[in-house]
Amino acid sequence: MGVPPAIRTEGLTKYYGPVIGIEDLSLEVAVGEVYGFLGANGAGKTTTIRLLLDLLRPSRGRASVLGVDCYRDSLAARRLIGYLPGDLPIYPDLTARDYLSYLSKLDNRPVSQAYLGQLCDRFDVSEIDQRRRLRDQSHGMKQKIGIIQALMARPPVAILDEPTAGLDPLMVQAFRETVADLKREGRTTVFLSSHVLSEVEAMCDRIGLIRGGRIVTTGTIDDLKRDATRRVAVSFSAPVPAPSSVPAGATLRSASAAEWVLEVRGPVGPLVRTLAGLPVHDVVVEPFKLEDYIAQFYGGDAR
Amino acid sequence: MIGLLRRSAAQARYLLIGSFVLLFGFQLIIVGQAAEVQRTQAFGRVAELMPAFLQRGLGSKAMLLATFRGTVSFGYFHPVVCLIVALMAMYFTTEPVHEIESGLVDLQLARAVPRHRLLTRSFVLAECCIVTAVLLMSLGTWTGAHLFDANTLDLPDAALRGRLLLNLSAVGSCFAGFALFVGAMSKRWMTAFTTVTLTAIFTYLVDFLSIGWRPMRAAAWLSPFHYYPALSIIAGDAPMGRNLAVLFGAGVAFAIAGYWRFQRRDL
Repeated sequence: MGVPPAIRTEGLTKYYGPVIGIEDLSLEVAVGEVYGFLGANGAGKTTTIRLLLDLLRPSRGRASVLGVDCYRDSLAARRLIGYLPGDLPIYPDLTARDYLSYLSKLDNRPVSQAYLGQLCDRFDVSEIDQRRRLRDQSHGMKQKIGIIQALMARPPVAILDEPTAGLDPLMVQAFRETVADLKREGRTTVFLSSHVLSEVEAMCDRIGLIRGGRIVTTGTIDDLKRDATRRVAVSFSAPVPAPSSVPAGATLRSASAAEWVLEVRGPVGPLVRTLAGLPVHDVVVEPFKLEDYIAQFYGGDAR
Repeated sequence: MIGLLRRSAAQARYLLIGSFVLLFGFQLIIVGQAAEVQRTQAFGRVAELMPAFLQRGLGSKAMLLATFRGTVSFGYFHPVVCLIVALMAMYFTTEPVHEIESGLVDLQLARAVPRHRLLTRSFVLAECCIVTAVLLMSLGTWTGAHLFDANTLDLPDAALRGRLLLNLSAVGSCFAGFALFVGAMSKRWMTAFTTVTLTAIFTYLVDFLSIGWRPMRAAAWLSPFHYYPALSIIAGDAPMGRNLAVLFGAGVAFAIAGYWRFQRRDL
């Protein structure tokens, strides 16, 4: 038997009365992978995460973490997870240090003080910050403490809901470096829900896009690039007639004597071959943008 | 578990300290007042002031209230005292729904913490709170007796105080179980706490009104306060075993239903 995936859901479904939370959601995240879970507000990201944590009970389907069933063996599954909620709840009367200490003692998972110190250094949480009450901390500082509490026990699976919300660019960079380190070490799988596409593009090996409670696309960034539709503008040094046909995968959007604008899905090689013999002055292929790719799935009701 | 207990107690520290001071002070004051009335031989006038419907409803037992012993005992079944004890217990056993609403449950239960531990934590705290409250009330009476030089007067003996406080604890435990059940069913803390608070007040009124209003007697058995017949306990003719069994039994039954519901619900 091979290594079980870090996260697996099979036909996972959650209904809130007549409202669909998620429906028949099946996904797999490999061990050591950084997986970006994307979707608009209300698409079902948090529902999926809360189902993995057994905070919600599924209407049907299954979920497991490293082969451990999230419902039948919920405690063992949760022992494998470090979790950052999207909206970090705090005890306002606790200092950051007491907060981390309280959370680490809840299930007695060992926390290496050296690693904790390393995380605090990386996220610029000083001794003074650690001694301040959470009610007096800024939103960004609370978020950093939230990230630290999720990672401090070096969990095999880190589930992070909007981890960079409220962080300044320096701290976003610190977070990226932390994820890169986790990836390099290969011990921690990161399941990251986000709205920030540049962040997902920079950090994730693979993404899954959820819409209306269903996964609409999943793959590596390279897969998505291959699948994406890109705008190609061809300008000519001498007038040319409009093309009578275009290669498969290409759609002509506009054509004048001086310029053709096409949308090409997949490789541009066939289009380049079509252009052979024409007085081509320039070919501009718009670079792949995850935003544009994602946007095509958000026509109409984004949920 | 210790961490959870300490955290909850720390969060409620001001409420706890305030309630404990109130309950302790209440006993202190009532002993002082009763001693003063006794020294001025004014209990006869107190009996005359008693409402007629109470005299009719309680019969000869009503006169127990017009004695030093009865007045001091009244400190253990005064409506304010009963409601404070019940409210403290209910505050703790509705705490899990507050944690759901604030999202704290996500942090706690994202770790390897069983769901039932949150309820057990709350129930244990509620019971500790009740025990501390009755001990402090007893201490308040003892302190009052020394402070107001009332030791020579007819104080309720330790056995009677124990029976009254045990019955009061049972009322508190019954409400604790009930609140745990309501909390396990609710999505909002305010809804849960308001529901149980109004229920406590309503059931007190039902029991009180049933003393003098015959139609209300048909519903009185539903009130936990019906199983705390303090004057009968003072008179020594209360079925203590049955009353305690009903109160603790109802508390445990509600708590079991609450555990069952909480284990299955979405958080």
